[in-house]
Amino acid sequence: MGNNSSLMLRDEEIDVISKETEFNRNQIVRLYSRFLSLDKKAQGFLEREDLLNVPELAVNPLGDRIVDAFFTLAGDEIDNEKRLNFRQFVRVLAFFQPVDRSKKNSLNGRRDKLKFAFIMYDLNKNGYITREEFKVILNSMVGANITTDQLDKIADRTIEEADVDHDGRISFEEFCKAMEKTDIEEKMSIRFLN
Amino acid sequence: RMVPSPLAEHAILLASTFLFPPVAFVVVIVILLATLGKSLGLRERYVATLIYIFEWGAGQIKTTAKLKRKESLMPLDVPIIDSDEEEEEEEEEVDEDENERRTARSDGYESSSGLSRRRRNSANSVSSRASSVCSLRRRHGSGNNIIMRDTQLILDDEDDLPIETMHVNSRGWAVIGDSVDFIKNGIEAIIEDEVTSRFEAEQLMTWNMLTRTSTRFFQFVNWKLTVLYMAGFVFRYAFLLPMRITLFVIGLVFMLVSTAVVGIFPDGALKKTLNHKAMLTCHRILSRSISAVVYFHDEQYKASNCGIAVANHTSPMDVMVLSTDNVYALIGQSHGGLLGLMQRALSRASSHIWFERSEAKDRLAVSNKLKDHVSDPEKLPILIFPEGTCINNTSVMMFKKGSFEIGSTIYPIAMKYDSRFGDPFWNSSEQSWGEYILRMMTSWAIICHVWYLPPMTKLENEDAVDFANRVKKVIAARGGLVDLEWDGMLKRCKVPPKMVAKQQEKYANRLSRYTSTCEHLTRTPGSAPTLNDEAEDDEGIAASPTISGYNSLEELPEDVAITDEEDNVPPVPRSRSRPVSRVVEAPN
Repeated sequence: MGNNSSLMLRDEEIDVISKETEFNRNQIVRLYSRFLSLDKKAQGFLEREDLLNVPELAVNPLGDRIVDAFFTLAGDEIDNEKRLNFRQFVRVLAFFQPVDRSKKNSLNGRRDKLKFAFIMYDLNKNGYITREEFKVILNSMVGANITTDQLDKIADRTIEEADVDHDGRISFEEFCKAMEKTDIEEKMSIRFLN
Repeated sequence: RMVPSPLAEHAILLASTFLFPPVAFVVVIVILLATLGKSLGLRERYVATLIYIFEWGAGQIKTTAKLKRKESLMPLDVPIIDSDEEEEEEEEEVDEDENERRTARSDGYESSSGLSRRRRNSANSVSSRASSVCSLRRRHGSGNNIIMRDTQLILDDEDDLPIETMHVNSRGWAVIGDSVDFIKNGIEAIIEDEVTSRFEAEQLMTWNMLTRTSTRFFQFVNWKLTVLYMAGFVFRYAFLLPMRITLFVIGLVFMLVSTAVVGIFPDGALKKTLNHKAMLTCHRILSRSISAVVYFHDEQYKASNCGIAVANHTSPMDVMVLSTDNVYALIGQSHGGLLGLMQRALSRASSHIWFERSEAKDRLAVSNKLKDHVSDPEKLPILIFPEGTCINNTSVMMFKKGSFEIGSTIYPIAMKYDSRFGDPFWNSSEQSWGEYILRMMTSWAIICHVWYLPPMTKLENEDAVDFANRVKKVIAARGGLVDLEWDGMLKRCKVPPKMVAKQQEKYANRLSRYTSTCEHLTRTPGSAPTLNDEAEDDEGIAASPTISGYNSLEELPEDVAITDEEDNVPPVPRSRSRPVSRVVEAPN
């Protein structure tokens, strides 16, 4: 009478994840249900394809980059294919929780949110954003509507403005400094319902 | 080889002997009633009884869950008061999904706070009769909300924002700031999006005693419910199923025979009348084979002659459901096998449009055939499902513009199924035809409300796409469905690059409005925005070579229409999707 194989999430796991990420039990279970519906092939983990199946993400100009950053932050690489299990999935999402200043929270502070953005820009994951990498992102966002020259110019100026140590590229510290005036906490917080 | 023991054999034979007369009796009565077009009201009473039972079952589940909650120790949980309340909402909104037959394992436990509205509704709908339409129409969510979305990609056309410049310190860093908005939107989409949920079965509020929908419940089920479930199981498989199969076969035979007879007559008024009667009868028999209870509203707007009837699409049964009340001409791809047999049979009695698969890709041919049919006053109104694919009946997706270009009168029809008694949604990529039919025949009943809407015609100054959207809006409003801009074809294929390109254009527009302290931006009228630096020559975007090699959006290759084999829908041309997106902050 009914079979429970689909409820693969055990209580202990929920507890562990809850402690790690500050999500409460309900939220975790709901996220699990979402994880299952994204995992169409029922493999128990997500691949890039699975996330890009969401039309709204596929239409997003930075969709590809976002998925990439997602997997970089938390995925494992097996057979050259990146995979994300549920726990990793939730860990990344935890970055987007609103910042609670009263709690000493290591997962969703300002720096962590900026980290996500930084990783997205830093294509080769060497810890620096170069001119070329920035150009790639900008190109994704505007597509065919901008010329190479204009792209170069914008990229050059961008790097110049934030490059404090004049090494021609932006490190994470420089990135944080340049984004000081932006309200990252607000921009990168998602309102999770209780 | 398994040979049943003599005792078992004896028992089975006895059982079937006893069952046979009632089944045969029922079958005869049903056919008689179908022919006469009357109903004993039995199905309505049956449905009401079922509701009563489900209600009781829901109560049981609630009690058991409460008991369990109290027993278990969960120190890490949110304070008890909250979680109890959450639990209550949970049980009332539980859902089920096919367990053995589908992979839609989208069940979580809990509902969201956004469902307090549905809680009231669930009380409404459970205690009122099946014919209570209002509460049915309000149930169009497809699940649990996890987040409150702040950003959205808007897909419909809208006027360009007024040209204003925004002063920023640096364009590059403004871009980075904007990219963060895109990030947020992307992550929100990963957590929750409008589209993927529409291709899974609608989540129900109470358990309806079907195994397929029991995943969330089985731990809350006590012995009383188990007994009830067993009884229900036996009833469905041993009584309903054979009866329905018999009816189905009879209905099919009737269709073949009657269309053959009608086909003898020469075209004319007599043939038309005979066809009318024959079609209605045979569809009524067939609809009883899945215990379909259909309520029709506003019958004065029924399509009568030459026009196009459009409806939202949920299942292959749609055609049958609608045909129990009115006779339509159908349009679709010709199949082989059983379906092909039926198609040929129907064609004998009146004219329908069937395509070969190769013809389907030729939009002009499709369009012409439609036009020919529609302009002939002797022919029946054509039934078309402009979504092109089955959606799970909680929303209406993009209508393809093909049928709206013809210029004839459109008769919109809104259909809303009540999936508590059996969910008719068919996801053809997850279930085969056979599995689907078996599921249909072992459900309790298929209940549908059909609203006929006043006929609409295309206005002078609107184009086909706008007209299609207008009709879609009307249908969604009437049926209590969510009106979505997304294309139903996304169920099967990827997002077309055109949509992404449109997004990029939108962002480029925005970028052009940034003025930094040392640069100026101008916008030449009628062309894409120009980024103009003071220190540079003015290079219009249209004039200079672009990165990707396309000078404009128009050059991107048009996508080929992909036909939906399983559905009996016209392979009308895929509309030129013109979605526009913008990452916006929703007003708080």
